[in-house]
Amino acid sequence: YQRRVRDNRDGDSYRSPWSNEFFPPIEDGNAPSDRMRKLEEQANDAFDVYREQYFDGGISSCYFWEEDHGGFSGAILIKKTGDLKNKFRSSWDSIHVIEVHEKGAGRNAHYKLISTVMLWLQNTRSGSGQMDLGGSLSRQVEKDLPVTNDMFSHIVNIGGMVEKMENNIRGVLETVYFGRTLTVLNDVRSLVDLESKKQHDKLSQGIANAIKNKDRTSTN
Amino acid sequence: MSGLMDISNDEKVRIARDFIRAAPAGEFREVVNDVRVLLGDDALLTTASDVFYEHATDQFCRVDVEGSPALVTKEGSVDGSKVFYDPGTGKNFTYKYLTGEATNIEPGVRDNGAESWRKALEDALAVYLKDNFPAFGSAVYGKLDGDTVSLTVAIENHKYNPDNFYCGKWQSKWTVEFPTSGGFAKVVGEMKVQVHYFEDGNVQLHTKKTTEESVQVSNPEEGAKNVVEFIGRSEKEYQLGINENYREMSATTFKSLRRALPITKNLVDWHKLHSLNIGRDLMNRTT
Repeated sequence: YQRRVRDNRDGDSYRSPWSNEFFPPIEDGNAPSDRMRKLEEQANDAFDVYREQYFDGGISSCYFWEEDHGGFSGAILIKKTGDLKNKFRSSWDSIHVIEVHEKGAGRNAHYKLISTVMLWLQNTRSGSGQMDLGGSLSRQVEKDLPVTNDMFSHIVNIGGMVEKMENNIRGVLETVYFGRTLTVLNDVRSLVDLESKKQHDKLSQGIANAIKNKDRTSTN
Repeated sequence: MSGLMDISNDEKVRIARDFIRAAPAGEFREVVNDVRVLLGDDALLTTASDVFYEHATDQFCRVDVEGSPALVTKEGSVDGSKVFYDPGTGKNFTYKYLTGEATNIEPGVRDNGAESWRKALEDALAVYLKDNFPAFGSAVYGKLDGDTVSLTVAIENHKYNPDNFYCGKWQSKWTVEFPTSGGFAKVVGEMKVQVHYFEDGNVQLHTKKTTEESVQVSNPEEGAKNVVEFIGRSEKEYQLGINENYREMSATTFKSLRRALPITKNLVDWHKLHSLNIGRDLMNRTT
C-alpha cells in the first residue's frame, strides 16, 4: 500500500516510498536523487515508529524532493481509520509539508512546516439519529535548527517539529470538535427549562444579596 | 482562473447553484458574494437565483414581519418563488433573499376549517418555545383537506458569530394529521442541527433525526397539549442523545484514533531512532 500523492506521481504511475518502484511499472520514472532517496528511507523507518507509538496502527508515507533553492522539501502523510466501535466510524488524516533551506553542515537549517489534519466521525443511533462531525484544521510553523554532517539530523529536526505540531493540533481538535460545536448546539436550544432556570437564578441572587446585607449589618 | 474560462455558461451556473445550495446556515450572503466574484457576470448569477428559494426554505430563514419572528418555508410558500405566508400574523410578505427582509406586507388567506386546531397548537407551542429556546422563530400552518386536518409546525433558532468564526442552527418540523372529528393524530417530526466552525480550518457538524407517534387529539386544547408534549419529549431526547454521543466520541473514539502521548508518557526520542537505521543499513550491506 502506498499513499497516492501528487509528489510521487509520474504520469499514471505512482512511486512507492518503501520500494522506490513505480506501480504500474514504467521506464525512466521521475525518481528522487540518491540523497533524497536515502532521506526517504530513513524518514519512512523513523515515522513508522512514530506512527506506532501515537496511532497504534494506521499507515504512513514520506516523500522528499530537491528544490531549486538548494534545499529540499518533503511530505509526511499519516492515515488512521478507527475501529467500528459502538457504531462510530472515524478517520484521521495528517498531511505535513516541510520546506528545508540548508546553509551547510555545522550551521542551522531553516524549516517551514505546514500541517493539515482531517478528522471525521460518523454515527447512527436511535437516540441521536444520524450524525456527521468532520473537517480539518491547518497550522504552520517555522524554525531554525542545527544540522550535522549526518542526514539523519534532518529527520530528528523534522520529526520533532511534526510531533509537536500534531500534538498541538490534536489538542485544538479536541476543544473545537468536542467542545465548541457542542456548546453552540446547547446555546441554541437549552437543556435546562428556561423558566425554572430564571426562577432559580432569581432565588440565588436573592440569597446572595441577603447574605451581603447580613454581613454589612453584622460588622456594625 | 483559466480553468473557469474553459467551461460553458450552463456549467458555471450549475457550479454556482451547488455552492449556494450548500452554504452553511448564516453564511448565505457571503457565499453568494464569493460566487458573484467568481462568475464575474451578474446575468449568470440571476440564472442561478432559483436556488435562493431552495436554500432559504431549507433553512427556515427567520424574518421580521410586523415585529413577529416569521419563517420562510415551503409550507408557507404562496408562489413558489418569493411570496410567503406567515400564519402567526396572517400576513403575506415578499422575502428579499439578499437582505433577509420582508417587504410588501399584505393580508393573507387563512384556512378557517383548521383554524381552531391551529390556533390552539400555536398557543400551546408558544409556551413550550419560551421555556426551551433562548430565542426562536416559529410558524404553525393549518389546512383542511376534505375530511383531514393538517397542521405543520416549524421551529428555528440560530447563533451566527462570524467574528468568533462559528455559525449554528437548530431546526425542527412537525406534521400533525387527523380527521376533522378528532381522534388520533399521526405526528411526524424531523429535527436537524448544523454547526460550522472556521478558524484556521473548517469543521462541520450535521445531525438529523426523524420520529413518529400517534397522539390523541379529542379537541383543540387537549390535542395541542398532547402534541406539544410529544414535541418537547422528542426534542429533548434528541439533544441529550447528541450530548451523549459527544461524551463517547471524546472519551473513546477520538483517543483510539491518536493518543495524546505515547504509552511511555514521553515524546519520541528521535535520536534513538537513528540506531535502527544503522542496523538496517548493515543488514542491507551483508545480504
